[in-house]
Amino acid sequence: MAAVQETIEQVKSIDVDKYKYGFETEIESEKAPRGLNEDIVRFISEKKGEPAWMLEWRLDAYRRWRALKEPTWAKLHYPKIDFEDLYYYSAPKGTTGPKSLDEVDPQLLETYAKLGIPLKEQEILAGVRKAGEPSPSNAPSEGADGYASMKGKVAIDAVFDSVSVVTTFKKELAKAGVIFCSISEALREHPELVKKYLGTVVPQSDNFYAALNSAVFSDGSFVYVPPGVRCPMELSTYFRINEKDTGQFERTLIIADKGSYVSYLEGCTAPMRDENQLHAAVVELIALDDAEIKYSTVQNWYPGDKDGKGGIFNFVTKRGDCRGKNSKISWTQVETGSAITWKYPSCILRGDNSRGEFYSIAISNGYQQVDSGTKMIHLGRNTTSRIISKGIAAGKSQNTYRGLVSAHRKATGARNFTNCDSLLIGDKCGAHTVPYLEARNSSAQFEHEATTSKISDNMLFYCTQRGLSSEEAIALVVNGFVRDVLQHLPMEFMAETQKLIGISLEGSVG
Amino acid sequence: MNVTTLKTKAEGQLREQFDAAAGSLPGTGWVGALRARAMDAFAADGLPSRRVEEWKYTDLRERLRDVPAPASATSKPVSAADIDSALGPLAGLDAERIVLVDGVYSAELSKVTAEATVIELMSLAAMLKKAPAWLEGKFASDSGVVVALNTAFMSDGVLLKVRKDQDPGRPVLLVHARAAAQSSAVAVRNVVSLEAGAKLTLIEAHVALDSAASGALANVVTDVTLGDGATCDHIKSLVDAAGSTHLATWNTKLGKDATFRGFQLTASPALARNDINITFDGEGSKLDLSGAFLARGAEHIDTTLVVDHAVPHCESRELFKGVLDGRAHGIFQGKIIVRPDAQKTDGKQMSQALMLSPDAQFSSKPELEIYADDVVCGHGATCTEIDADLLFYCRSRGIPPDIARAMLTESFIGEAVEKIENEAVREALGTLAIGWLRAG
Repeated sequence: MAAVQETIEQVKSIDVDKYKYGFETEIESEKAPRGLNEDIVRFISEKKGEPAWMLEWRLDAYRRWRALKEPTWAKLHYPKIDFEDLYYYSAPKGTTGPKSLDEVDPQLLETYAKLGIPLKEQEILAGVRKAGEPSPSNAPSEGADGYASMKGKVAIDAVFDSVSVVTTFKKELAKAGVIFCSISEALREHPELVKKYLGTVVPQSDNFYAALNSAVFSDGSFVYVPPGVRCPMELSTYFRINEKDTGQFERTLIIADKGSYVSYLEGCTAPMRDENQLHAAVVELIALDDAEIKYSTVQNWYPGDKDGKGGIFNFVTKRGDCRGKNSKISWTQVETGSAITWKYPSCILRGDNSRGEFYSIAISNGYQQVDSGTKMIHLGRNTTSRIISKGIAAGKSQNTYRGLVSAHRKATGARNFTNCDSLLIGDKCGAHTVPYLEARNSSAQFEHEATTSKISDNMLFYCTQRGLSSEEAIALVVNGFVRDVLQHLPMEFMAETQKLIGISLEGSVG
Repeated sequence: MNVTTLKTKAEGQLREQFDAAAGSLPGTGWVGALRARAMDAFAADGLPSRRVEEWKYTDLRERLRDVPAPASATSKPVSAADIDSALGPLAGLDAERIVLVDGVYSAELSKVTAEATVIELMSLAAMLKKAPAWLEGKFASDSGVVVALNTAFMSDGVLLKVRKDQDPGRPVLLVHARAAAQSSAVAVRNVVSLEAGAKLTLIEAHVALDSAASGALANVVTDVTLGDGATCDHIKSLVDAAGSTHLATWNTKLGKDATFRGFQLTASPALARNDINITFDGEGSKLDLSGAFLARGAEHIDTTLVVDHAVPHCESRELFKGVLDGRAHGIFQGKIIVRPDAQKTDGKQMSQALMLSPDAQFSSKPELEIYADDVVCGHGATCTEIDADLLFYCRSRGIPPDIARAMLTESFIGEAVEKIENEAVREALGTLAIGWLRAG
């Protein structure tokens, strides 16, 4: 209840300007020339000091990308993207890779502090660094709205435009044997692991955007949890697009070895700009026998202004491979940002008795367009999956759930439950549901249900009759609507998300 | 225009057949031009492949390898007894009877006793020969390649009208009989209209005579228009054991305060594709659509449904049930569209499949496309094998496993058949469905 109250207050306190992360950081950056060709791919690879096989891998992806066509099947309408008019690499000057916090440009730290991610404070609170140590200027005195105030520790990999600027808590994690670093660093330090797993879940030519990402990805996070280890803290990556006309292409690779567990959080923001910016990420998760990966996203890229101008085009390929028996992968996503969202976090349930879960809240307002959902591919025996999707469309937005549940011929005993509900706020928005069910095995048991409705007048009347304003009443009902999904978010994100929901729906009534 | 060359053998055959038959197909004046335009529309797209979203699960380009020649006039006369025997339980139905043999209206076999002041009935072929201007508007079709092919090749069909506020009292049984001893292709077009306040129970029965060859191709389009306040029960039954390919399209338009109850029983064609397009054109209308699809062996049955809520205050219900045995593949695609101003829409859809064999396949794509906010819409889809608990319950009460399975399967299908309003028709179709289940 307290959290709901908070949401209501948050909604009240918000001004016309709804996107609070829309500032820009004045920082000198180093860019690759505009456009895309093999030289750019070579440039990026060289900048990263990658081994030769990696360059070949990238070039192969680039050549495949040239042969692919942009997908048009999604219910999304946007101007054609000129892939030759983008910067494919941009890094804050002087940063070649993650280093210790002391060396990080104070302006960068300030940016993250403003976003509510006080990297510095986290370390101090956790006792890694002594409190008396000189801290970069303007670091916030308390982490009131960041994760630092939370009890648990969170290790953060901060990605700014194309590069990872810092990764915290590396030493503590190393003690447990967990590798958590930027993917560029992993390529240098652990090339054998990267080579073994990279592209095994999302191959280079998987789709247009994945191929593009494979060719030009600049950074991202790498996680390896060794057998039997339960990762001692939440891992987190914070993505920030800052530079103009740049695309952000990050690549995340998480491997949970036998019997291990890891929970990973991802957050994203971008400045407010009139033009659209491209973000095409690839995330690969691999869970071996008895391992579990929990992946949570709060996606809050800049959604564009009230007239639909600007905003991020978000084309993301996320896929988890339950490679081992009894493994489990769980996706939880809160999608409130981006002008265009094209994203289908999926699970390949290859190992016997493996389990995939997908919990999603997708909120669209203004002129946002969301086409998101999941794929559950049942290949092993007795595999189970669960999909809970809550879409909320307001303003003039279009919100689509698109999902596939399939059982292979040998997937005896496959079981799926899907529930997708959509809520419509206002008569100019649209909510669509496009599920595919494909059962090739008679013992598969699939259940799918979907509903679409508006907030019932009775509920609103009941709330307003008890003295809530109509906006408070809507926030209350919406928070109730998404409760099933909220419960699956890590504590840190839950409170944040409730606020975000209020903010995203600001101005949708009246 | 986006012209793709016709690549497959079947596409080439269709083109050749059209060129050869164009002169002899019924119709003069604008009819020839209409057919030629439809053929061009087909030539532009070719047969739909799985790359066409609506045909994702039924790759007609791949599956339709060989197109049999258009049916010619049957040499062997068909008797009323032949028809009765093919109709099975539907033969005893007290109904007005219209019979088409191999796609051609048969005046001898048809028996319509209703007054001309109630029902107006004409053979489409006869009217195409006269080609009155008003008829042209009836073919304003843009609903895809199958309908275009139908328009190009249509040989006959019926034009049926129920006059204002009239009720024929008895159902109208429209028999599509297949009799040709060589495999052949037929294209039939029926145009049914109910004027304001009219009532009609229309049963389309697709049957094959004992003598009929296998491997036939049927393309049947039935357009039904309901005037304000009209009520129509439209039932289609396809029980065809002779390995035919069946492409059927319903285009139904509902006026204000109209009621449409539809039911489709599809059992054992080699390949069937049932396209159902429903448009709400007037407020306050109701739709109740249901069906059962039964397949075994390598059979393939696809039901693709589009319900378009173009106006406010309408209600739609759909329930489709399938039983799949052998290596059969059952498909249900159901799309509910709610247009921007169609407030107060109430739409519910359910599709369920029961899989009797490990190799059976079910694909489902229920879809909601909603642009208005004050609506209540939902869909559900399930697929599973027979519930082990239910089976155990039956067996613990002394019912042998085979019978228990049959009982559970019959009751599963029964739920859909129950939706048929007319008792005699319900019983006849129930008998047909159970007959199919027991034959397995």
